[in-house]
Amino acid sequence: MSNGENASAQHSRRVVYGEALRRFMLRPEATSVVAVIVLFIVFSALAPTLFPTRLTYISIMAVAAELGIISIGVTLLMIGGHFDLSVGAVLGLTSYVAVVLMRDFGIHPVPASFIAISVGGLLGLLNGFLVVRFRIHSFVVTLGTMLIWRGVLIALTGGFPMTVAIPQGFKDAMSGPLLGGFRMSMLWFFAVGILATVLLVRTKFGNWVQAIGQNANAARNLGVPVERVTILLFVITSSLAALAGIIQVARFASVDALRGEGMELQAVAVTVIGGTLLSGGYGSVVGTMLGAITFGMIQVGLVLAGAPGHFFRTLTGVIVVGAVILNTTVARRMANSKPLAGFKRGSTDADAAIKAGAEVDIGTSKSSTSASEAPR
Amino acid sequence: MSEERVSNLPAGSGSEDMIARRPPVEPIPAGAVPVLEAANISKGFGATTALVDVSLKAYSGRILALLGDNGAGKSTLIKILSGVFPPDAGQLLFNGKPVTFANPADARERGIATVFQDLAVCELLSVTRNIVLGREPQKGFGPFKLLDLKKAEDMARSALHGLGVRWERGLDERGANISGGERQSLAIARAMFFGSSALILDEPTSALAVRQAGRVLDHIVRAREQGQAVILITHNFRHALSVADDITVLAQGRVAGQFRRDQVELDELTDLVARVG
Ligand SMILES: Nc1ncnc2c1ncn2[C@@H]1O[C@H](COP(=O)(O)OP(=O)(O)OP(=O)(O)O)[C@@H](O)[C@H]1O
Ligand SMILES: [Mg+2]
Repeated sequence: MSNGENASAQHSRRVVYGEALRRFMLRPEATSVVAVIVLFIVFSALAPTLFPTRLTYISIMAVAAELGIISIGVTLLMIGGHFDLSVGAVLGLTSYVAVVLMRDFGIHPVPASFIAISVGGLLGLLNGFLVVRFRIHSFVVTLGTMLIWRGVLIALTGGFPMTVAIPQGFKDAMSGPLLGGFRMSMLWFFAVGILATVLLVRTKFGNWVQAIGQNANAARNLGVPVERVTILLFVITSSLAALAGIIQVARFASVDALRGEGMELQAVAVTVIGGTLLSGGYGSVVGTMLGAITFGMIQVGLVLAGAPGHFFRTLTGVIVVGAVILNTTVARRMANSKPLAGFKRGSTDADAAIKAGAEVDIGTSKSSTSASEAPR
Repeated sequence: MSEERVSNLPAGSGSEDMIARRPPVEPIPAGAVPVLEAANISKGFGATTALVDVSLKAYSGRILALLGDNGAGKSTLIKILSGVFPPDAGQLLFNGKPVTFANPADARERGIATVFQDLAVCELLSVTRNIVLGREPQKGFGPFKLLDLKKAEDMARSALHGLGVRWERGLDERGANISGGERQSLAIARAMFFGSSALILDEPTSALAVRQAGRVLDHIVRAREQGQAVILITHNFRHALSVADDITVLAQGRVAGQFRRDQVELDELTDLVARVG
């Protein structure tokens, strides 16, 4: 025991913080946190009077919310080992359904939205069914359905935008002003994010999703209903795309043939920035939310900094590639790095020491108990 | 536990004596119904024929050792018994009644737990989550059920403890960071913990040190005492002869011999398995 006391004294505050940082860098969200901070500093330097203002934050969150809701579905699906390239087209088609129901059938926006989201769910069901039943890679299946639904949407709209009168109450509920000028869509974004996080890390379903993404055969052999979970994931993804579509309909009071186009790849980019492995099995909804905010910052920040429009794609591309490099090489190096000062990797007492490190001074009894078992 | 203990029986020196000293096997009681039975099972994969007309019976409270050369069809047979895939021909029976397993979940629901040769460990899940996978404890009501992480950890701990492994790593260590032997322990502990009627193990001791292998054999014996039907696939004939009641030898997808353990010698088994054609 006296040995342990000695060792704990070595956990100076600096080491404890160092270890905490090392552990943070191992988390999937690390890259997106860094991206948000760096972009904030850069844009604030480029547009010091315009960027760090509440109006900017509101714009950023408006962009992040719609893209984020769609990306959260894509993230869950990617953790389960699949892609969905059809989310943009599904968003467009379900928006069309909502608009037609409201405009041509006079249906109240709330039931119209429910129907549109259900249609989204059905489109997801179709994706999932095709993937599971015919064992075709989801990339190909959803590439196909993306083209199909986009074609259908162009045919239905005739290529022209369709406008619809949105009752003010519904507009407010979906994307109207919230406290402090933020839009309601931010609330939806956070709600979806919290629900998806709980689903992923605190439910049986979430455990199954991760297991399937890592080793589908193992999961199946242990009694996990792999097919059912996979189909449900596609349903969730398409339903969330439809929800994002409804928010856009409420905001624009219209739909057009190109609504949602390109969002499928943006969602993949957001998911990757958020630290989810492209190969599946591992990822974070919170990371994806930060990834969406990164996107919003680039989009709004570049405008405020007076950069030409095409910079958006270039900078996004740089950040995606940078994120992947960070997430793979650096994370791998960190993972192989030795825990500092005798902390045992994966040991809970080190976690306790880090938690305690913030408030406890070195050498007090509290810190020594929390770290006493660390060195062996 | 002391009399049945075989863990001090290393593969090698002196184990023949131990085998010779083991008491005769009790015969299968007349009228006993096998927990798990394969009747005239055949299975092919495209051009390969993996199993031809194979029958075997696993009884409650008995250990059946399944022996055979590489590629003899042992894993294929137990995958059929575990619901991984259906047979091309033949019938499975559970407690004497014909069953078809649509998937492994069907077999698990009947208390059949299997340790597969490839172990089924998820690399990026924690040890705890790996152990409870497919049987996650939950709390809450209706559609609002959450994982009971504390209970899951207790289950994982007692599963590993039950196996007698000294788990050096934390239970939140990820699957990728544990050794081959630790993986095997994890898979066995999981099957032991959740299996209730039948326990099927496909080469469970291949990656284990002598002491751990002995522990596993101890536990197989204990599972038999608890009335489970055990099927043990192994390439270690000494292990088979020291714990099994019945022995089935597969060769090139067919049954080459079925014996009671006390009716067969080590040499005979070696010959039978090695014999080609
Ligand atoms: N999924 C599969 N697809 C095609 N062929 C297979 C498959 N699984 C097994 N086989 C073939 O079936 C035969 C029996 O294989 P099996 O795995 O049952 O052998 P085994 O007795 O378990 O061998 P080992 O001792 O090496 O584990 C082999 O010829 C193998 O190549
Ligand atoms: Mg095998």
